[in-house]
Parts: sequence; C-alpha cells; structure tokens
Amino acid sequence: MNCAEVKEWIDTKEYKEANFKREALVVNPPKACQPLGAVFCAVGFEGTLPFVHGSQGCVAYFRNNLSRHYREPFSAVSTSMTEDAAVFGGMNNLIEGLQNAYAVYKPKMIAISTSCMAEVIGDDLNSFVIKAKELGVIPADFPVSFAHTPSFVGSHITGYDNMLKGILLNMTRDKKAKRNKKINIIPGFDPYPGNIREIKRMLSLMGVEYTVLADNSEILDAPQMGKFEMYAGGTKLEDAQNAGNSAATVALQKFSTMQTIKFAQESFEHEGLQLYPPMGIRATDKFLMEMKRLTGKPIPTELEIERGRAVDAATDAHQYLHGKRFAVFGDPDNVYAIVNFLLEMGGEPVHILTATGTKQFEDEMKSLLSGSACGNEAQVYIGKDLWHLRSLLMTNPVDMLIGDSHGKWIARDAGIPLLRIGFPIFDRVNLHRSPIIGYQGTINLITGIANAFIEEIDRTSDDAHFELLR
Amino acid sequence: MKLPNTAEILDQPACEHNLSVDKACEKPKGGESCAFDGAYIVLNPITDAAHLIHGPIACCGNSYEGRGSLSSGSRLYRYGFTTDMTEMNIIYGSEAKLMQAVEYIAGRYKPAAIFVYSTCIPSLTGEDVETVCRQARAKIGIPVIPVIAPGFLGHKNMGNRLAGDVLLNHVIGTGESSESGVRSSEFTINLIGEYNIAGELWNVLPLFEKIGIRVLSKITGDSTFQEITYAHHAKLNLLICGRALVNVARGMETRYGIPFREVSFYGIRNIRKAIVEVARFLQDRDIMERADEVVSEEEMIACYALRDYFPYLRGKKAVVYTGGVKSWSMLSALNDLGMEVTACGVKKSSLSDIAKIKDLIGEERILKDVTPKILLDTIYKTKADILIAGGRNQYLAYKEKIPFIDINQERHTPYAGYRGLVNLAKDIAKTIYSPVWGLAKKELIWERP
Repeated sequence: MNCAEVKEWIDTKEYKEANFKREALVVNPPKACQPLGAVFCAVGFEGTLPFVHGSQGCVAYFRNNLSRHYREPFSAVSTSMTEDAAVFGGMNNLIEGLQNAYAVYKPKMIAISTSCMAEVIGDDLNSFVIKAKELGVIPADFPVSFAHTPSFVGSHITGYDNMLKGILLNMTRDKKAKRNKKINIIPGFDPYPGNIREIKRMLSLMGVEYTVLADNSEILDAPQMGKFEMYAGGTKLEDAQNAGNSAATVALQKFSTMQTIKFAQESFEHEGLQLYPPMGIRATDKFLMEMKRLTGKPIPTELEIERGRAVDAATDAHQYLHGKRFAVFGDPDNVYAIVNFLLEMGGEPVHILTATGTKQFEDEMKSLLSGSACGNEAQVYIGKDLWHLRSLLMTNPVDMLIGDSHGKWIARDAGIPLLRIGFPIFDRVNLHRSPIIGYQGTINLITGIANAFIEEIDRTSDDAHFELLR
Repeated sequence: MKLPNTAEILDQPACEHNLSVDKACEKPKGGESCAFDGAYIVLNPITDAAHLIHGPIACCGNSYEGRGSLSSGSRLYRYGFTTDMTEMNIIYGSEAKLMQAVEYIAGRYKPAAIFVYSTCIPSLTGEDVETVCRQARAKIGIPVIPVIAPGFLGHKNMGNRLAGDVLLNHVIGTGESSESGVRSSEFTINLIGEYNIAGELWNVLPLFEKIGIRVLSKITGDSTFQEITYAHHAKLNLLICGRALVNVARGMETRYGIPFREVSFYGIRNIRKAIVEVARFLQDRDIMERADEVVSEEEMIACYALRDYFPYLRGKKAVVYTGGVKSWSMLSALNDLGMEVTACGVKKSSLSDIAKIKDLIGEERILKDVTPKILLDTIYKTKADILIAGGRNQYLAYKEKIPFIDINQERHTPYAGYRGLVNLAKDIAKTIYSPVWGLAKKELIWERP
C-alpha cells in the first residue's frame, strides 16, 4: 500500500477495527502527566513554590504549557537530576534545591512533587525533607509539603489529587480545633479560573463561608497592575491549616479528588461530598441545593433570577442544539458535565472519549446516558487517544467536536467545528477567564455552541441562503 | 545499552575557543529544557518520518504538536507517538511493546523512517533500545533509528548535539547519489541548524534558487528523510545555528571534506554577507554576478517596504534575550532597522556567539546571567522600549507593561530573509505603539486631580 492509499484507508470502517485493536502504541494522547497536575495544584496556595524533584526537562514542559494556556508567567523549580543522581540517589539534589529555592524565591511553602526519574530510583521525599531540616538548610517550622507523582502512573488529574492530599495532610496535622461553619470547596483540575470565581460569587450571594482548596484563580488569571507578582493570591496557609475544622468538604470534580476526599472524610471526620462540575441548569441546581442542605442557608432570589435568565437563554437557543450530534473528549469530570449539559439541551452525544477515565466513570456515564433518549446512540471509550477518536469521527460523523486544542486536526479532517473546552487551549485567547459552570457559565456554554453552529451556516451557505435572520 | 558520552559531544575542535580557552564547549547553565527535548527539536522537523517517544506519558503528552516547524509536505512528524510506559512496563520491561509499536507505525503510517527516542525511564532501567531498533529494521525494511537522549543527560543543547550525532552516524551518507540526482557541475549547498519555524526557510530558499544554487538538504526544517541521507553530496554547508549543530558541520567536514560557513539570514547585512560568501566559495563568475543582482534587487524592495517603519523604529531601544544564532544575528537585524540594543542575554549562546555579540554591542551590554528580575531591572535601567525574547518571558513583560515580541519557537511570523525583516519591523512597531499600554497607567484615572 502506498501513501495515497493509506490516506484513504485510514478513513474507513475496516481501519477503525484495526485501530481499536492497537495496544502497544498511543497516538496523540489527550493527557498529561502527574507532576503537571501537582504543580497546577501547588500554585493555588498562598506564597507556594512548586518544586519538582526529577530531571530538568519535565518542569520546563509544565511551565511552558501552563504559561501558554493561561498566557501568564508561571514559576516552578526543579532539582535537575543528572546521571550522577541516578547512581547515588537524589538526596543531595533535593537538599541543595530546597536550600536554593528557599533563599532565592522566599516562598511561604514549598510543594514538592516528583517526576519519573526520582521515582524509579526510589527517592524517599519524607526522609529527605526531614534530613534537610536537620541540616538546617531550611527552618524546622517551614512548611514543605510533598507528593509522589510518577508519570508512569495516573495522569495530571491524579497528580492534582495527590498533591492536594499531600498539602492538606501536612498543613492540617495537629491543627484540630472547634468545628466552624465553613465549607471546603475543591475545584479539582479545573482549567477555568473563571469557574472558581463564579463558585465564590454564588456562595457569597448565599452567605456561605468557604475555603477554596486550592484557589489558583488569581495567579492563573492575574490582573495587569503594572507589576509582576510571583505569588499572587492563593488559599491562605492559615485557612489550609484550618481546613479540617470546617463543616464539610465538597469536591466539584470526582476523579481528580478521589484520594483527597477519602482523606477529608477520614481525617477531618466530616462529610466529604463529590459532585460533578455544576455545568448546565440541573447540575447547578444540585450544587446549590447541596450547599443549602449543608449550611441551612436559603438560595437567594438573585440566584433564582439568574436561573431564570439561564433557562431563558436555553429556550431561545434550543433549536440550534436540539438533535445535533456531538463528540466529546477530555478529562472524565469535564466530559461527564458536558454530556449532562448536552442531554439537558436535547443534544445527542455520540462519541464520548477519555484517556484518563476509569471503570467507575464508564459506569456512571452509561447510567447518565440511559436516562435520556438523546443518549441512545452514545458510546463511551476510556483509555483511548485522539487517533481512535479520528476513526470514530470519520466512520460515524457528528456535527461538532468538543475538547481541547489537540482536537483541531481531527476536527479539520472531519470538516466540523471544534468547541474548545478543557486543557490545553493554546490557540484561542481568554477562554479561561469566563465561567462555564453555574447559571452564568451555562449561558456562556449555550451561547458558544449555538453561535458556532450559526457561524457554520453563514460560512457554508450559498448566496441564496445567506440571510440576516438566523 | 550504552549512554552517549556527553563530554565528547561538547568537545568540538571546530569551535575557535577550543584552540585557546579550554577543550570543550561551555556547559549550558540552567533555565533550559532537557536533552530529550533538544534531540526531539532537531529531528522532529524531518516531516515524513515517524517520531516515537519511548517512555511514560510525560515526554510526549506535554510536548507533541507544540513546535512551530512547518512542513510543505507530510504532516506525519506532528503526530505524538508514544509507548506510554506504565508501572507494569517498568517492572516487566517494555522492549516487546516497543517492537510492537514500531511495527504498528510501519504498517499503518508508511513513514520514510522511524526515530525512536529513549527517554529517562527506559534509559535508567537499561532497556536495549538499540537492539530493538536493529531487529525492527531487519523486520520492516525501513530505517529505525535509536535516539538515546534521556533528559538526565543534560540540557537542551546537549540534546541538540546528540541528535546531530544521530544524523551523522545513522542518516547522512546512507543515500545514493542517483537518488539526489546531483550533477557534478551543479552548485549545491546544505543548510544546517534551520528548522523552518513559522516557515522562515520559505523566505530564504527562493534567493538561492534565483541565483542558481541548489539547496540539496535542509537539516532539518521541512525536510524529507531521504534528502538528509544524501546531504554528503553537497559542495558547501551553511551552518545556521552553530550552537545546536556545529558537530554536524564539523563531522561532515572530516568525513566528506565538505567545508562549512556560519551564516545567518536575519537582517539585510547578514543576508548579503551570507550570499556573497557562498557565491565566492563556489568561484563561478555567473553565480557571483547573479548573487549581486539578486541581493541588490531584494535590498531595494525591502528598503522600500521598510520606509514606513523607519521613522517609528529609529532610536528605539531593545533588550534581547534569545539563544544560538539569533542572539548575534538579531542584533545586527535590529541595527538595520535603526534600533539600539541596550543589553543582550547570553545564557543560551555559545562562546563563539558571545564573541560575535561583543563585537556588535560591546562587552558592557552583555548579560551573563538572566533571571526574570535581572531582565526587568535591565529594561528599566536602560530605558528600553521593548523586550525581544522567547515565549516564557512574554507574560512577564506584559505584566510590567513592557512591549514584547517572541523570536523563539512559538513565533508565528517568519523573521528571516528580506520579507522577514519587514515582518520584524511591523511586529516591533505594532507592539511598541499599541494603545493598550496607555490603558495601564500607574495612577488610576479616577485618582488624578
């Protein structure tokens, strides 16, 4: 078979069968590694320096990718392990690194994660940190949190989970005090600072006291005030220390918070609740009702009016979404929330694909789909990549692809629009600033999808059908 | 599996400084990515090859599709192929998995060759990637080339050179002259260390074509695997980024007797110098005449296009922080536009790059160490109007209200060649004179008297 024949062949059903039998090779993976998630989590705490113990390239990638996605400066350091460290272990690198980082960047906390090399050697972070404090290179009371996050296990979402658990474990130790009325909110690996701000706004309207763990909404969406702040915003360390005394912990993602929620339930001895991201009307309703249940605070009229406005937006736009066929890929929590929203609007998810999903995700997804006639045709794929998705798009076409920027080539091949949701988004500006959750976020989602379809009509219609009214 | 000897990689007798200062090129200091990234950057622009990253998800998942090297043909080079090693693969070994992956790629994508990158983990656990590649090649009948470049071997530049060695040892010289169709009377050159970022090559290749010089192999921007295999048939090598691939130029000189010249295509004076040097080398009257004609005509066109920008750029001050060839050639290009360079960071420059920079702006304007703080302080101290650097400093500059253009791999506008210089002028003017800077006044508008 020559190149031209291969080109045709890869669009066929026969090829799809072969493609799905592929085992040893991943092609165009829609996932990143654990330490990226850990670094993303760490910057959500006040004055915290993300510190990666491993070889030096890893942290350069994380900084690049986070900086490109948010269009913000992103600071993180690495111990830059070399061949010597492979032979003798990485303790000296770590101790020297801690000393330098503490002296040069003056953080309030250092959050260590690891990349592959340190894990294969078997470096023990706990004993290294103790040693560093014994040697006096950092003060004994200086908070150093850590998590083991090799990239050959899990993905960026489990890395987030491990780091958050590591930080809470370290910060809440021996801080038990009287229980207060606060609710801990865990956004999860949520690439939208706009979402965190929206959650805070809704909770303020309800008069709920809260602590966001980890609040990276300011450092990843920092205002232009004429001066670069290396440590902007973040969850106050004092609030993190007190997290165990809150009334409850609510995670807005499930699969990026599995370890942390379990830890909160056991160690904080309070209710630990996992929700899916409140995307769409019903999911937002559920979030607010859970908040009401946990705090006893009523849902205020302002939010009721907002809900009405979002429902109005859905009504006005429903004809553009109803019956449209979608392919959705990304991280499991976002994918679940998007599909839930699409079903609510009468959209038909057809291909649902994630590289990082688990059996539990698959089951919950299928149960959601079975509850709606719009979900009849949907197939759920876990642990698959964008080359699999390409086969699906070419053999069973849909009207729109929803996912991150890596989807742009297959969307182009399939001749359909890509609605960018997720991480990374390198080829559009400012999307992360606006929420896609809550009632306001639902309006943004509906607007984005409906107008993308209308844009398609304008772009592809002939003169006779090019109209003012749509 | 034996790891490459990094000291040998840095020992480049071709560098002038090695004759006097010490034996080896200086090791780069901090702030850069790793040897794997450096190797991948150099080889990835070979467009019809498959680039398979053997390792856990990190190395591929965080990097694929991320480079700005453009292709006029195949887009296979963009695909992120990885074995996505898991814990089980580490415990039980993954040589069989690698073999399967290579076979799968060969069967489904029909690449001209497969480069297999061994990253930190398989290199630490001692997987025999070289043997797998050898066996795979025998099985599938196309070159399967091991690139042993684990990140822990060193910085990006180390990886560039490792990839250079791979080209010398596995690719260059393996092609037949019948495939290249080179006639002995033909004037042929190679370009080494040019990666077609934003399509820059496409501003340069037409110049040679007009003069009657054939660019035989591009190493490696917008190249095919085959054209690199017969690179040894060229008469002269033009080394564009010396810091990255001096070992390739040097190796081809020793092995095939092909001399090299270090040149740049940024800025009017540099282009003229490069073209004249090539023409002189080829010692052909027609070529020399045509070169002079083409350069003079293109200069006129460029100056005409630039005339609108000169009044805006004249006397503007820039701080420049980039690496390799751009660190010196960009200074000359900015001078062509009437601008002044008040400081230049050299953390990512070779010693010979630094020598050239010294000649252009003087020693006192050289920044040896570059941190965000030093960059900002220098910009304020020298009252610079713009920072010209790589993407990682872009948002730092913006936060401080400093106009910025990106001249590293994330740029989307070609700055090489005559048209490139016009683009550069336009982009600099666009950012310096953007009205957005006026929105971020120090005191808020409602606090003014």
